[in-house]
Parts: sequence; C-alpha cells; structure tokens
Amino acid sequence: MIVRYSIIWWKFTLGTSQIAFQSRFGAILFLLGKLLRYVFFLLFLMLLLSRTKVIVGYPLWQLMLFYATFNLLDTLPQFFFRNVYRFRQQILNGYFDNMLLKPLPSLFQPLFGGSDILDLFMLFLAAGFIMYAGIQSGHATPLHVFLYLLLICNSFVIALGLHIFVLGIGILSTAVDNTVMLYRDLTQMGRLPIEVYQEPLRGLITFIIPIGIMMTYPVKALLGLLSVQGIILAMVFGTGMLFVSLRFWQYALRHYISIST
Amino acid sequence: MNIYFRVAKNTWDEMMTYRFNFMMWRIRNVLQLLTVYYLWVAVTIHNGHIFSYSRSLILTYVLGVSFIGSIVFSTRTQEMGENINNGELSQYLIRPLRYLGYWFARDIGDKFFNISFALAELTIVYLLLRPAIYLQLNGTMLILTVVAVILAVVMNFFIGSLLGLVAFWSPEVWAPRFIFFTLVSFFSGGLFPLDILPVSLQHIFSLLPFGYLQYFPITIYLGKVSSQGILQGFTIAIIWNIFLYFLLLWVWRIGLRMYSSEGN
Repeated sequence: MIVRYSIIWWKFTLGTSQIAFQSRFGAILFLLGKLLRYVFFLLFLMLLLSRTKVIVGYPLWQLMLFYATFNLLDTLPQFFFRNVYRFRQQILNGYFDNMLLKPLPSLFQPLFGGSDILDLFMLFLAAGFIMYAGIQSGHATPLHVFLYLLLICNSFVIALGLHIFVLGIGILSTAVDNTVMLYRDLTQMGRLPIEVYQEPLRGLITFIIPIGIMMTYPVKALLGLLSVQGIILAMVFGTGMLFVSLRFWQYALRHYISIST
Repeated sequence: MNIYFRVAKNTWDEMMTYRFNFMMWRIRNVLQLLTVYYLWVAVTIHNGHIFSYSRSLILTYVLGVSFIGSIVFSTRTQEMGENINNGELSQYLIRPLRYLGYWFARDIGDKFFNISFALAELTIVYLLLRPAIYLQLNGTMLILTVVAVILAVVMNFFIGSLLGLVAFWSPEVWAPRFIFFTLVSFFSGGLFPLDILPVSLQHIFSLLPFGYLQYFPITIYLGKVSSQGILQGFTIAIIWNIFLYFLLLWVWRIGLRMYSSEGN
C-alpha cells in the first residue's frame, strides 16, 4: 500500500514540479531567496556570538545545531505537505469535492497533493549542515544520535498533526493561508533554543503549541541534555497531537458544505 | 482629492470586512516581534549591553522598529501585479483617477488600519513585559523621526509599485517581491541595528535604500545619529526617492505601451 501511495505522490509531485518550472526565472529567484534567508540569519547569529560567546548557555556550534535542525524541520513538512498551501483555493473552486470522490483517503491529496521540488535543495543543505554542526558540537554518542533521529520523526508527526489542524480549519472557515503562515511564524520561534523565551511564553510554546518539543527537544537529546521523562513527554505529545488532529479532521469533514459546486 | 480619500476609506472598510484574516496577520507580527525581542533580552541578560547598545536602547530599538515596520511595510502594491496580469488594469485606465495615486491611497488606508492595531499591540506587549525603554524628549529629534518615516513610506511605495509593474513583462510577480523582502528583512534593520555590522559593510548599506526604511528613522529617535549623519541620511533618502519616482513614472509609461488585454 505504501508503494502505491508513493507512486501516486510521485505523480502529483511531477505535475506540481512541471508547473513550478514553467517559470524557471521565478523558480531560481525563490530558491535564491530561501538560500539568502538561511545564510543571512546564520551570519547574524555568528555576529552575535562573536560578542557574547554563548546565548542562554549554548556556544556557537550548539546554536548552529539548533538552527540547522530548525531548518530541517521547517523544510521537511513544507516539502511533503506543500498542498496545504493550495488547499484554500481547492475548497473555493470546488476541487476538494473532486478529491473526495477519488479512491484515496480523504487526507491524502490535501496533504500530499504535490511536493515542492525546490525544497529538496534546502533539505540537503539542512541535513549536511546538521552533520557538520553535530560533529563540531562533539557530544554525540550513538545512543544520542538514535534519540535525535527518533525525536526528529516525532517532530515530523507533530508537524503532520498541526497541518491536519490547518486543513480542518480550512474546511470550517476557508482561512487556510493565514493559519498556515501563523504556524510558520510559530515554528520560526524554534530557530533558537526554547530557553531564550521567558515564561509564560516558554510554557505556551512548549506545552500548548508544542514548538519547543518539536524544534528543540531533538537537539537537546543529541547534546545529552534531555531526560528520559522529556523523551517520553515528547513521544506522548506527538502521538496525542496526531490522534486529536485526526479526530478534528473527521469533525471538519462532517461539517463540510460544498460551497462551489 | 476627495476620490482618493474615499479610496483610502474604502480600503479601511474592506479590512474591517476581513477581520479574521487581518487579526491573524497581526498575531503573526506580534510573534515575529517576540522572537526578536527575547533574543535581544537573552544576549543582554548578563552584561546589560551589547555592541554600542544598552539593554534599554536595544529593546526600544526592537519595539520601535516593529512599529515603524507596521507603518512602512503595510502596502497594497502587491495587488498591482495581479491587476495587470488578469487584465483588470483596463478597468482602472478608463476611470477618472490616476492609477498610481489610487494605489497610494489604498496604501494609506491600509497603513492607518495597521497603525491602530500596532499601537494597541505594542501597548499590550509593553504592559506585559515592562521593558526599560528609552524615551526621546527632544522635539526636533521626534519631528526628524516622523519626517524620516514619511520618506520611508514613500520609498516603500515606489519600490513596491515597481515590483508590481514587473507584471507588464512577466507573469512572475511574486518571486522578485520575495527576494526584495528577504533582503529588506535583514538590511532594513528589522532584525538587528545595522551599526553592529563591520564598518565597510555599514558604508555600503548607507548608500543603499534598505536602511532608510526602518534603521534610519529609529536611530534618529534613539539619538544615535550625529547632525552630520542626519543630514547625510536625509540627503541620500531624498535622492533615492527622487530617483525611484522618476524610474516608476518611466516604467509605468513604457509598461503601458506594452500592455494589452483581451475580453475585459
């Protein structure tokens, strides 16, 4: 079944990639913009650290690891769930009805209906940078690396849950664009370790909207700074988030009124 | 003049209609502000200062630059490109108004709406966080800050319009805007004061328009610019405005010669 869905996803992705490359000039500019944003913030952090040496107790390469992991976890859902950004239009023009008629799970095409191939470059860049920053940080044992990868998968599940919430809100109110951008802005707070933020904001973005768990727990595990309770808490949040979001999706589907057809 | 006032007022009313979208947009602004604010709190927590900024100066910088950003960057010019691409421009050309004046009026309506919300947000953020902030009491500096913001507003309109008019030649109007805002988000001083950069880079940025959108007005407010620096800054900002104005008129004229639409 996974092979079948992978083939369908690949076909969707081929279609959206052809559209993206219709304007090669635009595609190059978007890629350049993403790269510049990535590099500029990195340089800014390095400039700050040239003066402070540490920020909230983390030296240069550990902070780079947080930043690189943020980039991976920011880009990975964007790559896979790119159709969420197109979902509002698909509800307004009635295409979502067409999706529901297809012999696919109702969430499949709204989530995986075509990845943005341009994000692949950023994904490889983030992965390479994580490896380099991880080596420079110098704390990692095989167990820590395993926990890091486990929590990265967990973060992806949290991101999946949050995107399902956005889709559900889209069905109920069509307000997808701003909601998904709100999610993006919240995740931007994960560019830095969660300790940067003071209470009550830190508690809010750790336990209510689990950006802290999603973005910073994997790195803390890699650095050996996360307790067993922290790892269990993260996994419970991930599983719980997916479960609640799927229930919310079902609720939203039950209240869906086709407004365009 | 009355027409443009009505256009600005209609823009305000339009934003009242899509309140939910607007609220989400403002929440996003507050989140961006908090991210930058807490970063600067974290880096000044031990020494009480960083680079040439005391904690109160840098936090005033962060809050001030957020407010100025709300005024300067709230714009509707991104709709210009869509207008040209879908042929709606034809409808405007037969109306008794100037197309660029119409969009400037839209910008003004949008800005007043954003300013009212930004003021409320910053008041709430201030009351919740209670940062030590720097109050500028010198009337001349306050007036110069306002003038610098007005120049920034006009400059951003010219640049935004030019990016919109790209649509005369290419359907790809979002990518150039994306690049521009990526550059602006770093080099206008929205994330950090430009005077923390190496001196050679500061000289380069003082000649580019980016810094005059946020950094220049807020540093006047903070009293960090010498009289000579203020004079030089205003001179460069005015030269950029004049250059962009004539460039915009020229691009508009040759763009119109290229423009064609069917079925409108």
